[in-house]
Amino acid sequence: MKGDLVLFHVIWFPFAAAFLCYLTGKWHKMIRDRFLQLSVILEMGLMALAAAAYFQEAGLAADPTISSFHVGELQFMWEGFCMQGLYLKLDGFRLLYGCIAALMWMMTGIFSREYFAHYHNRNRYYFFYLLTLGSTMGVFLSGDLYTTFIFFEIMSLTSYVWVIHDEKPAAMKAGEIYLAIAVIGGLVMLMGLFLLYDAAGTLRMSELHDAVRSVMQEKAGQIYAAGFCMLFGFGAKAGMFPLHVWLPKAHPVAPAPASALLSGILTKTGVFGVLVVSAEIFRYDPAWGRLVLYLGTITMFGGAFLAVFSIDLKRTLACSSMSQIGFILVGVGMMELLGAENALAVRGTILHMVNHSMIKLILFMAAGVVYMNLHALDLNEIRGFGYRKPLLKGIFLMGAMSIGGIPGWSGYVSKTLLHESIVEYAEALAVHGEPSLWISGIEWIFLLTGGMTIAYMTKLFVAVFLEQHPDRQQEYDAKTAYMNTESMFALLVPTVLLVLMGFLPYHTMNRAADLAQGFLHGEMPAHAVHYFSLTNLKGAVISMTIGALVYFGLIRKFLMGKDEKGRTCYLNLWPGWLDLEDLVYRPVFAKAAAALAGYVCGIMDRLYLVQNLLKAAVEVSAFLSRICDYLVDMVLVLFRSTTHKSRTERRVYLIGSRVSRTLGKILDQVVWLMNHTIRRNNPIERSYVVTFAEWEEMMSRTSRLISASLSFGLMLAAIGLALTLAYLLWW
Amino acid sequence: MSSVCLVLPVVLPILGGAVMPLLHLPDKKRNLCLEILVLLTSAVAFLCVFRRPEEGFVLFHLTGNLDFALRIDGLGSVFVCVIAFLWPLATLYAFEYMRHEERTAGFFAFYTMTYGVTLGIAMAKNLVTMYLFYELLTLVSVYLVMHPMTKKALYASRIYLYYSIGGAAFAFIALVFIIIFGGGTTDFVLGGVLDMSRIGDNINIVLIVYLLAFWGFGVKAAVFPFQGWLPQASVAPTPVTALLHAVAVVKSGAFAVMRLTYYCFGAELLRGTWVHFVVMSIAMLSIIYGSTMAVKETHFKRRLAFSTVSNLSYILLGATMMSTQGLLAGMAHLVFHAFMKIGAFFSAGAVMHQSGRNYVDELNGLGKKMPFVFTVFVICGLSLIGIPGFAGFISKWNIAVAAMELGSEYPYAYGAVAVLLYSALMTAVYILTVAVRAWFPDKGSIKEPEEAVTDPNWEMKLPLFIFAVAVLFWGFCSEPVMRLLRAVSQGIL
Repeated sequence: MKGDLVLFHVIWFPFAAAFLCYLTGKWHKMIRDRFLQLSVILEMGLMALAAAAYFQEAGLAADPTISSFHVGELQFMWEGFCMQGLYLKLDGFRLLYGCIAALMWMMTGIFSREYFAHYHNRNRYYFFYLLTLGSTMGVFLSGDLYTTFIFFEIMSLTSYVWVIHDEKPAAMKAGEIYLAIAVIGGLVMLMGLFLLYDAAGTLRMSELHDAVRSVMQEKAGQIYAAGFCMLFGFGAKAGMFPLHVWLPKAHPVAPAPASALLSGILTKTGVFGVLVVSAEIFRYDPAWGRLVLYLGTITMFGGAFLAVFSIDLKRTLACSSMSQIGFILVGVGMMELLGAENALAVRGTILHMVNHSMIKLILFMAAGVVYMNLHALDLNEIRGFGYRKPLLKGIFLMGAMSIGGIPGWSGYVSKTLLHESIVEYAEALAVHGEPSLWISGIEWIFLLTGGMTIAYMTKLFVAVFLEQHPDRQQEYDAKTAYMNTESMFALLVPTVLLVLMGFLPYHTMNRAADLAQGFLHGEMPAHAVHYFSLTNLKGAVISMTIGALVYFGLIRKFLMGKDEKGRTCYLNLWPGWLDLEDLVYRPVFAKAAAALAGYVCGIMDRLYLVQNLLKAAVEVSAFLSRICDYLVDMVLVLFRSTTHKSRTERRVYLIGSRVSRTLGKILDQVVWLMNHTIRRNNPIERSYVVTFAEWEEMMSRTSRLISASLSFGLMLAAIGLALTLAYLLWW
Repeated sequence: MSSVCLVLPVVLPILGGAVMPLLHLPDKKRNLCLEILVLLTSAVAFLCVFRRPEEGFVLFHLTGNLDFALRIDGLGSVFVCVIAFLWPLATLYAFEYMRHEERTAGFFAFYTMTYGVTLGIAMAKNLVTMYLFYELLTLVSVYLVMHPMTKKALYASRIYLYYSIGGAAFAFIALVFIIIFGGGTTDFVLGGVLDMSRIGDNINIVLIVYLLAFWGFGVKAAVFPFQGWLPQASVAPTPVTALLHAVAVVKSGAFAVMRLTYYCFGAELLRGTWVHFVVMSIAMLSIIYGSTMAVKETHFKRRLAFSTVSNLSYILLGATMMSTQGLLAGMAHLVFHAFMKIGAFFSAGAVMHQSGRNYVDELNGLGKKMPFVFTVFVICGLSLIGIPGFAGFISKWNIAVAAMELGSEYPYAYGAVAVLLYSALMTAVYILTVAVRAWFPDKGSIKEPEEAVTDPNWEMKLPLFIFAVAVLFWGFCSEPVMRLLRAVSQGIL
């Protein structure tokens, strides 16, 4: 462990506080609530300490010139932590975002006490709330991508608990997709990091650019593969199309303080990653820039499109978040495309991130106030809630104006910068004589989306704060104590900051941009941007006109109607069929791919393979051994039928005729007598039965032969002739 | 330290286990004796590792120059340490788990004997000795599988027996060829003992023999297509499935393959040959198969068994990279997986023991009733997925590094990285579905069970606690152990 310990304190403190808070909660609930508030305030204090150390390091206290902003950096290193080591760093951008994260947690933490007063499972919530704080801080302070990844994973898993906090079916379903995207994104990103590490040999952000450039020639494919994997992972967290599916589902179902954090800061961790990948690995790479730009444009427009149709307060805000992330990604794309002259895009991107964090903090907490009182978010139910609540109305209006990009509010500044960067690029293309129609198209989508932003924010504002509820207006107006002082403080502080940013852009936002742009290697702009010049105002005016057209032409005409009692109401025309989750992801991955993989593995299972193989083997071996078995037999049979064939002739048994047998027997008796008497010393041992039978047989055979022969016939004929002759002579 | 001492860790548990049922001690006393015996064995084993005698100890000569000999080298000491560390804890857990079972005398006798035999495999000096112990391991552990004596268990034990004995027959072929081509010795030497001049033109025969032996020893490591016995064998009592079928028996298979690859045939000889790609493909296929089937499976323990199939092949995938880095990665996963899987299995066993629930969809909301067990399960599960900060990540990273190293030479190895990604996703699915069900049930999905389910007693908790701590510790601070393993893989230690 070496370096500036204050960075490490910022990280470990929330983790330790999480466990302490949990234990405290087991013991006493009220003390736990206070402890939580204390710990988020302390965290803010720690961040302030880090900031002080940073400015001291940068020598700013003595010499407040802008050029020295990104000279000094705080660093902290822990070798061998989780194998690759932990490396924390604090530069201008990290300082800015660390402070915003701490501020957001502080405000939502203060707000939570009232909001969660009647909730269950608060202990669990607070535990994961603080864990997520620590890990988010870790992401923003990380100096190498490995450290980023570790904290990113912790953050993904711990924030899951926020999403499902209600444990209602909708929350569980949203949680499912949130977790799925988080885990898949995380693992794919890990693969990307791994490929990058293998190619470049380092994950240290400050060394990445040189390392990548030196191997870009031979390993371009691998580096791009790594880049896509990382864009997948970080983009999923940021809510980038087409991985945005979880965002409009998960943000609305979480408790409001959690929604504010999910929208305002957790998406920014994804953006942070995209920034690192874009600025360090693919610095000034136009191909990469186009990819991010296109994806950003779709995200930007898609989010706004969905938001226009939504009639749920928090869902509209969530879709709006998606859209704003799209704006930021467009900025990232422009930053790449513009090459070294990307000051406007860099500053616009950073400032829009800051703006969006602050705005969403305010708006979601305001939505939380509504929900806390009414336990409803449907515009038809909550309309008129803010009719007689000037404070809430004012706070919400500030947020709405800012996000709508109305001149005089902070959103205008960042959107103007982003718009200018697009215009600048279009001009540059025109000068070089390259086709610039597509970039003009993107500019128009940009302005159109800006208009839609104004339209849906107007829709929300009008519904909740200007219209009256048809039945329950009295009841709503009676709720005068709708939030306590703590919550009011939590809402007011960021609002005041936001308003200051908008009204004094040169003193606040420019300074913030100066501080942070070193992170993206942005140079100071060639000339100071006059935010309120006519050309810049023109874009805002176009957007406002479009906004008015959309609001009056589309929302009030087609998206509002009469309910069964004849009162005007907001129609739910939410384009659910556009949901990529049900349209593509579930059918493809959960059904088709799963079925395929399951089927293939089922075939691979022993039932089919080994068993059948075994069966086949047994059959074959049985067949072979039977052949072997018969082999000897067959040889024997062969011999028996050839060389060792038994003789075929019949054995002749000599029997003889009755006469010869009788004679033979008599002679045998005689011989027996003789053998016992006179020939006792030399007995005759033959049987005359057999001898006579042989004789007889021989005679019969001979006579047969003779009688059958020609000579015998001739002889008989001769005898006949002789007899005839004799008769003639002597008779 | 005299080399005779090497005999002790092998003989002590075998004799002790055999004698124990003859004494007819009451359960409590027997358990105490067994625990002391196992602890004593572990102590001797550790002593043998840390003050290890350089020369081996020859027990007796079989025939010719086939010796029955014991010796501890680097790889062996890694395995010895894992086994010797886990066994006393698993025994402790087993006492509690088996309290209400019948026929415990026979069970513990064989359980303890298996310890000695496994140590024998780890400490074998040459292939002959290892082969003998390998066969013996099948024989002593088959009773443990059939212990429930149900029809299913008997069937499973028969399958186990067929597969293992059949596999060993293949391994025997290798033994013969090693003797022929290796100049008569079967001793384990890092880099292999084969003599190129003796092989001559017969290189393809050697490779075929290696493939046969890979499958033969791989049967115990549940390598495709011989994985069928492992999920079936999960009918055995949890101490068996956890220790034997996640660590001792199956790791013996993986260990034997490592011995075969790096210490008999030699990685250099095999690297880049056709058989290299065949065995790598087998390992990849097993990983995909195991993790997909685990997602399909709804029985808690069988799901973990399928997970074991895929994780064992991680070890083999590391080993089949045929490089120093590959051996390192394989060993690292061998060690880390032992801890995280035994932790996961013991959690599953604790759930079954305490609540009698076997299927994943019965686990709704159990996390709140058994927070300790499910915390351990989540830690081990996240480690299995490969989340940084847990031990499993370290070994998977190293496997991927080995694959990339090989990939620059043979691009086929890049496929291994993709397989790792796929498997990690599947692991996330089959682990997180359990964890989410247990901790965050849908509202209204829990039918309040009548019986009060609680965390188990300390005998079950202590091992779980130690495993969880080990997994976390190595996740955060892996360098010391990795340095040791690296030395082993380079042959320094």
